[in-house]
Amino acid sequence: MPKQEIDAEDLFNLSLSIVGLVLRDGPMATTELATHFGYTEKTIVRAVKTIANSEDIGRFETHFYVDDELLAKGEVDFSIGMAALRRPPLLSKRQTTALAAGLDFLAALPQFAGNVALSQIRNQIGSGSLPITILASPARQETLHTIQQALVDKTQLVASYVNQLGEKSERDIDPLRVDYVGRRHYLRGWCHSNQAVRSFRLDRITKIENTDKPISQAAESAEIPLEVFGQIENETTVKIRATHEASEIFWNFPATDIQRDTEGNVTGKIQVGSVKALGRHVARYAGQVRVLSPESAVEAVRQFAIHARHGSLTPEDQD
Amino acid sequence: MSAGASKQSPAERLFTLTCCLMAAPVIGLSKNDIFRSVVSYAEQGSDLAKEKMFDRDKSDLREMGVQLEVIDSSSFGETDSARYRIAKGSFDWPADFEINNEHMTLLELAAKAWNNQLLSKQAQSGLIRLRSLGIVESSRQLSAFTPRLLAPQESFAPLADAIAEGKLVRFSYRKIDGTTSVREVTPLKLRFIEGQWVLLAKQSKEIKNFLLRRIVSKVKSSELAGETVSLVQIDEVEAALVEFVTKNIAVLKIEQDSEAWWHFGAKDSGTVEVNFMDEALFAEDLMEFGSEVQILSPESLRQRIDSGWQQVLDTHA
Repeated sequence: MPKQEIDAEDLFNLSLSIVGLVLRDGPMATTELATHFGYTEKTIVRAVKTIANSEDIGRFETHFYVDDELLAKGEVDFSIGMAALRRPPLLSKRQTTALAAGLDFLAALPQFAGNVALSQIRNQIGSGSLPITILASPARQETLHTIQQALVDKTQLVASYVNQLGEKSERDIDPLRVDYVGRRHYLRGWCHSNQAVRSFRLDRITKIENTDKPISQAAESAEIPLEVFGQIENETTVKIRATHEASEIFWNFPATDIQRDTEGNVTGKIQVGSVKALGRHVARYAGQVRVLSPESAVEAVRQFAIHARHGSLTPEDQD
Repeated sequence: MSAGASKQSPAERLFTLTCCLMAAPVIGLSKNDIFRSVVSYAEQGSDLAKEKMFDRDKSDLREMGVQLEVIDSSSFGETDSARYRIAKGSFDWPADFEINNEHMTLLELAAKAWNNQLLSKQAQSGLIRLRSLGIVESSRQLSAFTPRLLAPQESFAPLADAIAEGKLVRFSYRKIDGTTSVREVTPLKLRFIEGQWVLLAKQSKEIKNFLLRRIVSKVKSSELAGETVSLVQIDEVEAALVEFVTKNIAVLKIEQDSEAWWHFGAKDSGTVEVNFMDEALFAEDLMEFGSEVQILSPESLRQRIDSGWQQVLDTHA
């Protein structure tokens, strides 16, 4: 979607970038520039006028001559006056940090493991190091591949899914998007059994197949909620306290009444779909997150730990 | 357009200033040359107003990657005899800098990952600049993929700023054993490893990794310039980390057909080998699977998880 608003810094940046592109590739339509840079035509025209108004009043000379008649007809062309400017400056440090961190993030995702283009561009933009991808399982890469193919073909998927309570089900899903939030992949799709958009964690999909059935009309017109956890039913409000290091637990749930004390400990309320499934989210922080209420949630965490500890003490008994 | 016919917008002022500096002779332009050339300065009522505007513009230009050099015969900072020019090379893209459509798609994803947070604006403006290198179609294959990077740690922004400005910072860091100490470091790079943001920074003579979630105070930037570190040195440290992770192996026994089974891609015997960076962080990830995962080795990890369960029980008695 084209951006409507632009501040001075971005307008300056856009003007420099238009100079670079037009001098390199020749005259261009404002519509073409709008699509290319992701701004409205009106903004493109403002940027071109910024280029046109680059007069050196001390020398009575101008840096660029913009063809106003052509611009009125929706075409951008200019010739060089006294300008030595031919292209925008190199990326600023902040731009580099932002893009490099984003690329780093991509490099840590299993689906980009071994991606040649990614390591090339990371070399160019300055993070150029080997990605350290560890928890990438081959099973999930195959799942991702199947979903991506279905997204391109616009076809339905059949998946075996285990929810957070361990309940297994078969689902017909029209794929809409794949999200990667925090550190998990989610398939966002139209679930035929629920007749609604649902999020499916990829590591809970035990089997998935692409069908040749086209996705439904309902899926085509469905809106995808911004948050992956936007569909909690029968939710319970749970009050928790976390140390500074474990406070990231609040990012995983809709949270309210957040308060931080002088020690950095954070207290607040989270909305939980299933109290039983809360155990795992809390237990991972080894006592750094404490459930304060309700009692049923405290007990769920306790039971999870008892069960897990019993298992971990007797590895051989399982065989 | 004649002088003073219309007020220049701030973007026009910055653009004209950049053009004038680019077109300047090797010896640069004096402040008065600049004030005479750029209409916005000429229109200011007082010298003080001109100076103030110019100071702000210089810092804006530098922030946007236009490297301004000050040539001054006086050794006491900027004086009226100072001359200004644009640093050689600040507009020279490497001859081999090429972006194809796959690169562009990845860069777009990288910018999209910021999802209106923190560095989203900088990532987007960087993309605009890269798009001036030519029209490339981005690939459709990845258009339905929405990565969302989470960098909500308060320390992220000041650290990113310090990296950009090459400044020293100070913060309190709590190690996994619970000891807290104040660190004064030169931040070099922010990296995303195993779902965690890691700061690569130079502390006295050593380059070290710091986990952002263990920074327990506000990050205070100092006005002091940080130490310079060559890219080669950074590469060496990163290679050492990769080597460390490669050697750090846990052997796990996974319950068949459990969530962990799919997560780790276990097969047949249910025994898997997994590399990890930080034992404490890895323990957290494993504890989420509860009884589905048992640790065969290393022993330190098994003990850490076992005492973790005890702590959960103690806090939920």
